[in-house]
Amino acid sequence: MPAGSIEEGLSQAKEIIGKYPREQRFLLAALQDIQKHYNYLPREALALVQEHFSVPMSRLYSMATFYKALTLKPKGKYVIKVCDGTACHIRGSSLLVEELQRLLRIAPGETTTDGKFSLETVNCLGSCAIAPVMVINDQYYGRVTTAAVGKILEDLEAKE
Amino acid sequence: MIITIDGKQCEAQYGEYILDVARRNNIFIPTLCHSDALPGQGNCRLCIVEVLEGKRRRVVVSCSYPVKGEVEVLTNTEKIRKMRKNLIRLLAAAAPDSDFMRDLQREYGLEEEERFQVYRGEDCILCGLCVRACEEVGIYAISTVNRGITKKVSTPYAEPSAVCIGCGACARVCPTGSIKMKEENGRREIWGKTFALLPCPGCGKPFITREELAYVQAKTGLEPAEILCEKCRQKRAARKMRDVFKDVTMK
Repeated sequence: MPAGSIEEGLSQAKEIIGKYPREQRFLLAALQDIQKHYNYLPREALALVQEHFSVPMSRLYSMATFYKALTLKPKGKYVIKVCDGTACHIRGSSLLVEELQRLLRIAPGETTTDGKFSLETVNCLGSCAIAPVMVINDQYYGRVTTAAVGKILEDLEAKE
Repeated sequence: MIITIDGKQCEAQYGEYILDVARRNNIFIPTLCHSDALPGQGNCRLCIVEVLEGKRRRVVVSCSYPVKGEVEVLTNTEKIRKMRKNLIRLLAAAAPDSDFMRDLQREYGLEEEERFQVYRGEDCILCGLCVRACEEVGIYAISTVNRGITKKVSTPYAEPSAVCIGCGACARVCPTGSIKMKEENGRREIWGKTFALLPCPGCGKPFITREELAYVQAKTGLEPAEILCEKCRQKRAARKMRDVFKDVTMK
């Protein structure tokens, strides 16, 4: 996942926004692109969006807090999504969440202080056949056990 | 055309909302999120009525249901009362300390219940009138943030808004008194921002923020001396009326 930092300036954000015509219907697409680039919506970037699309900050803030795909706080390098849909729930997904909480010391919706991991629960990933499912960035893990969770995290740490 | 509301014949225009027709004919329908200045919000559902149209009989929201034929409207049937009662129960859980909700609870013989989680100290039913009022004024300082059970009305980042002019339209339009606006010693505090109040050129009472005065001036082109507090405005209008009709004698 490309993760830009705010230090490298807002030139990227400017470039992303600049691709869109100044029409409100492109707002969400622009916000999504910014989210993808920075892993969150930096306040400074929102100010640029406000300027480009001539839309009130209150409306942007409303959108940014409404959509789950948009966040105002930086997400971790690895976003761990644990499925808590019916099938996964029955097959013990809550145990996975507990184990992850214990290992990472964060609650769902939070990010570790080192910025490496974010933990989220989602409602269904459509892969009920391999429940319980976990997705880290774009990698799917099926039939996950609590023991496997530790191993997966270790592997990710080792990659660093 | 003529529509019948609770047995009373009422003159109505095509496309007019049932609620407006009822109000004009002194037929009371309870509302919470309705404001004459910002109609058609349709959020609180308190104003539900039954509409009989031919063989069809259905429940509609009277504040946003336009009259399109010579229908019969019933505002207080057994069914409506039952449905409204449930709406009041839910709304009262969201706004337990609102006087309006307390009155309604009493009227419908309801008490505070343990069944619902009661949200104390907020009294917001998320009708969105405040947000619409702010947009209508043209400021866009507040909006709804988050969604679902964490949805609320707030300024961006919950910080004092850079654009708010402290006009207080949001607080005035709020049906449950949930928006806190404090006024003391010539200062007004709202949404975490404090404004100095300027005196009315008529009576000298502090009534408007510097920011609002500038905004009104820019929008209307009025001189500061012409922008008066509500009471002085009424007096001025009354004086004008008197002058106009000074020489008219009733025959």
